[in-house]
Amino acid sequence: MRTNTTLRAAIAGATLLAAGGAGAAFAQDVTLEYWVYSDFAQGDALAMQQEFIKEFTDAHPGVKVNITGKGDDDLTAGQVAGAASGNLPDVFMNAQHIGAQLVEVGALANIYDKFMALPEDVRNQFDKDALATCMPKPDELYCLPYTGFGSLLFRNLTVLEKAGIDTTTPPTTWDEWFAQMQKVKEAGMFAIPDETLVFNSIGEIYATSGNSQTWGFNWDNHTTRIDEATMTKVLQKFVDMAPLNTGTSRNDQATKDLFISNQLAFHTIGPWVNPTYEEAAKSSGLKYDFVLIPGDTAGKTGGVRSYEIVGVAPGPNEEVAFEFASFITEKTQMARWAKLLSRYNANAAAMADPEVSALPLIRVSVEAAHGAMDLAAPYFVDTMPSCYNSTVIDYASATTDGEYTPAEGAKEMIAELNGCLAQ
Amino acid sequence: MSRTTALRGPVTVWTVLKWTLAIAIAIVAVFPIWWMFNVVFSQPGEPVSLNPRLWPTSLSAGIDKIRMIFTETGYLGAYFISITYALLTIVGVLLIASLAAFEFSLFKFPGRRIMFGIVMLALMVPTAVTIIPTYLLTSRLGWLNTMQGLVVPGLASAFGLFMLVQFMRAVPKEMIEAARLDGAGHFQIYWHVALPLCSNAMITLAILTFIQTWGNYMWPLIIGTRTEMYTVGQVVGMFNSPLSHHTVDTVMTANLLAAIPPLLFFLIFQRKIVEGIAMSGTKG
Amino acid sequence: MSFRRYLPHYLMIAPFMILFAAFFLYPILSGLFYSFHDWNGVKAPEFVGLGNYDRILVSREFLRAMGNLFFYIAITVPLGIFVALGLALLVDSFTGRWANFFRNAFFMPVVLPAFLAATIWRWIYAPNFGLLNMILGWFGVPSVNFLNDTGSMIYALVAVDIWVSAGFNMVIILAGLKNIPTELYEAARLDGASKMQQITHITIPMLGPVLFFVFTYGLISAMQVFDKPWLLTGSSFTSYGGRRNALLFPVMDMMGRAFGGVKFGEAAAYGFLLTVAIVFVTALMFALRAWSERK
Repeated sequence: MRTNTTLRAAIAGATLLAAGGAGAAFAQDVTLEYWVYSDFAQGDALAMQQEFIKEFTDAHPGVKVNITGKGDDDLTAGQVAGAASGNLPDVFMNAQHIGAQLVEVGALANIYDKFMALPEDVRNQFDKDALATCMPKPDELYCLPYTGFGSLLFRNLTVLEKAGIDTTTPPTTWDEWFAQMQKVKEAGMFAIPDETLVFNSIGEIYATSGNSQTWGFNWDNHTTRIDEATMTKVLQKFVDMAPLNTGTSRNDQATKDLFISNQLAFHTIGPWVNPTYEEAAKSSGLKYDFVLIPGDTAGKTGGVRSYEIVGVAPGPNEEVAFEFASFITEKTQMARWAKLLSRYNANAAAMADPEVSALPLIRVSVEAAHGAMDLAAPYFVDTMPSCYNSTVIDYASATTDGEYTPAEGAKEMIAELNGCLAQ
Repeated sequence: MSRTTALRGPVTVWTVLKWTLAIAIAIVAVFPIWWMFNVVFSQPGEPVSLNPRLWPTSLSAGIDKIRMIFTETGYLGAYFISITYALLTIVGVLLIASLAAFEFSLFKFPGRRIMFGIVMLALMVPTAVTIIPTYLLTSRLGWLNTMQGLVVPGLASAFGLFMLVQFMRAVPKEMIEAARLDGAGHFQIYWHVALPLCSNAMITLAILTFIQTWGNYMWPLIIGTRTEMYTVGQVVGMFNSPLSHHTVDTVMTANLLAAIPPLLFFLIFQRKIVEGIAMSGTKG
Repeated sequence: MSFRRYLPHYLMIAPFMILFAAFFLYPILSGLFYSFHDWNGVKAPEFVGLGNYDRILVSREFLRAMGNLFFYIAITVPLGIFVALGLALLVDSFTGRWANFFRNAFFMPVVLPAFLAATIWRWIYAPNFGLLNMILGWFGVPSVNFLNDTGSMIYALVAVDIWVSAGFNMVIILAGLKNIPTELYEAARLDGASKMQQITHITIPMLGPVLFFVFTYGLISAMQVFDKPWLLTGSSFTSYGGRRNALLFPVMDMMGRAFGGVKFGEAAAYGFLLTVAIVFVTALMFALRAWSERK
């Protein structure tokens, strides 16, 4: 065992293939079931995933990998059902905030020991913060962080110019940003989507005042970490924004359409909206850019961050499944992956690759992710009850409806969240 | 009333009103679908919800999207799986439910009422309750990722039984007695008397079963986890995820393609639906 | 002896009953078993008595979902029947090719995948520039945020619901219309009855059994409403029900608890509470029918 590790460490220095080479010890035939997000199982993304698979299987004779794509909720439903019947995929993706459910049903293996057996420089490739979110305890590691996002602020430059706003420098503080929103409204256009409609967009605005320590859960005593003073301030922001918004959520197609047709100035969302806006820039001359979401003070960033994870199921294939998981999350693959999709990921070394960091969407995303707030941390500890998100949304909406003052809304929201978590 | 009188008869307020109403409703029913069709046949990146699109703007863009979907996803394979799944389910449901409906509607035997009552009660239990236990059972049978795993658990359709019982009640008892006097066996009466009298009801059920099976999402999702067992619903589901990187017109293309087989199935059999219910109904 | 006499009957229902027992009855019973247990699908179920039922009955979501549900069925079921009946009468008043054309047109929305129907309607309902608001704008009506304004959300759902299901029920009612003997109408016409009188005095009473079937089945399925509100609100397992839970329905909450919270025992208990409600309402319908028939 020890020699195997040393041997691996010796060769591992550079390429991923080397790490794979050590795995050639798997004599018997193994087929790995590998579940990915549906986006990754189509078109160019699929072609590259298959390239990764080929490189891995070439280095591991006898191993076969079956790739299957699924939509977000479908991944969860399939993994939960698979755990119940003992038919789990061997390597799979999902979102961080689903992690606790997957641990609870036994879908995720603790890969800490295997990870620590990797050469140090491979381990160090991962973004420290991202990796830490996979570790609820010092000796428990339930995932390898994969692709991710930090929320971005998409700006429609035509709208801003029409409202007489200088677009050369993005707003650096909330006050500056809010002043711009008001100007846009005065010019007869929409400033921003209704940010109270979706949990993630509430988080994005909360992060302009709060941070990861005042968001998420205190699992020790099952309470929310949301801070009353901060929430009061944030609810006030929602009240202030209410007359300026489109009435649609940040995820609605109608919101994107308003942005494309130059009637909406700002759109806070993850990088996945960029292909739509890129197409629009080509076909209808949309002028837009993406910047960091400004916080209360200069230098502070709003927005949330979250990662997709690669998990390994416990079972007879665990060993080779981990080999595969560490192969696809290794720098060489992650850099190629990032370049192909222009998507930020948790391999910091890959993000630092000059060719990767030259991509504007990734460059901004790296900064956004560093400044952003964790969406639902800490992860992998306990299952978030289904009442949690809806309570946050409910009180944010009720406050903008005028049913509560921001101070009351924050107080009631926190009391109810604690009740929800205590169940 | 023949068609000519309908058109040439005196034009009353009622006629005008009737036509206006019918046309208005037809527009409400069909226009959104036509609109969707126009979204598919347009350049990607155009805003879709803001201007009412009355006509397709780019035929070639639509064809490109359709070709992309057929080549880059397992859509054709999924058509095959879905159609096989639907047809096998239809055959099974029709056979099994009609056998049972024949007995429940036309004969008296101990336990009949209670058994029928339990089946009706089962109709009222939401699928969400049973889906995991049914799934665990199917997986214990080793039927994950198999066609029988998709089809067999859905064959005992309480809806199908309910519906066929309603229709078979209309079969005149005298005809059954007459057949028995002619020396026909029990099964022969079912096959040669009851079934032909209800053939139209059976066609109706076939269409409803097709539409239902085609729209079934959760069950195929957990049973057919491998790409080669994906149904159309699952392939389309890959496009529908909320954070998808696809532009919306591509998503719509994938969805619209899924509507074609049930539409064809309906158009082929639609005449028989109405005639079917009417014919077997007159006997009641 | 008597068993032998009934054997052919039992043989004929055997395929159905065996499959039914295995794939419906057994899962329902095991669901009932799990509803008294804390169970996540994997670990051994842990008996909690009525704990799951208790927790659901006091939860705000359950009360909200049930409140929404009863409000929703009170509108959608009668209105749905009314529209379907209207469509059937309308189609029936045409003949030949046009009857065919309108029947096909009205039925078209039935075949659409639920996702497509929901997406279409999300766009129609979009505030400010959506199709519906554009039309309302021609008449000077200010923009309505149909899918986010808690006052209008449930009506927005009902409209989609009827758009999709009216054609389905129409076809069944049309068949019922064809069964009414034409002599009845002729007699009425000779008595000088107006068209309206014919409808209220002949058509509706003669359609009774068909309408009852459509009504009962519509009620049972409306109480299990799931995919349309789920899709219209852009729900996911961790967040569902729309703004201020205005479109939260029991089956949605059940699916959220099952797959989002991996509490299958709790979800099963939820399901049985809903089943009790469905059985109660359906029984009430049957009783009402029996009562009205006796009159």
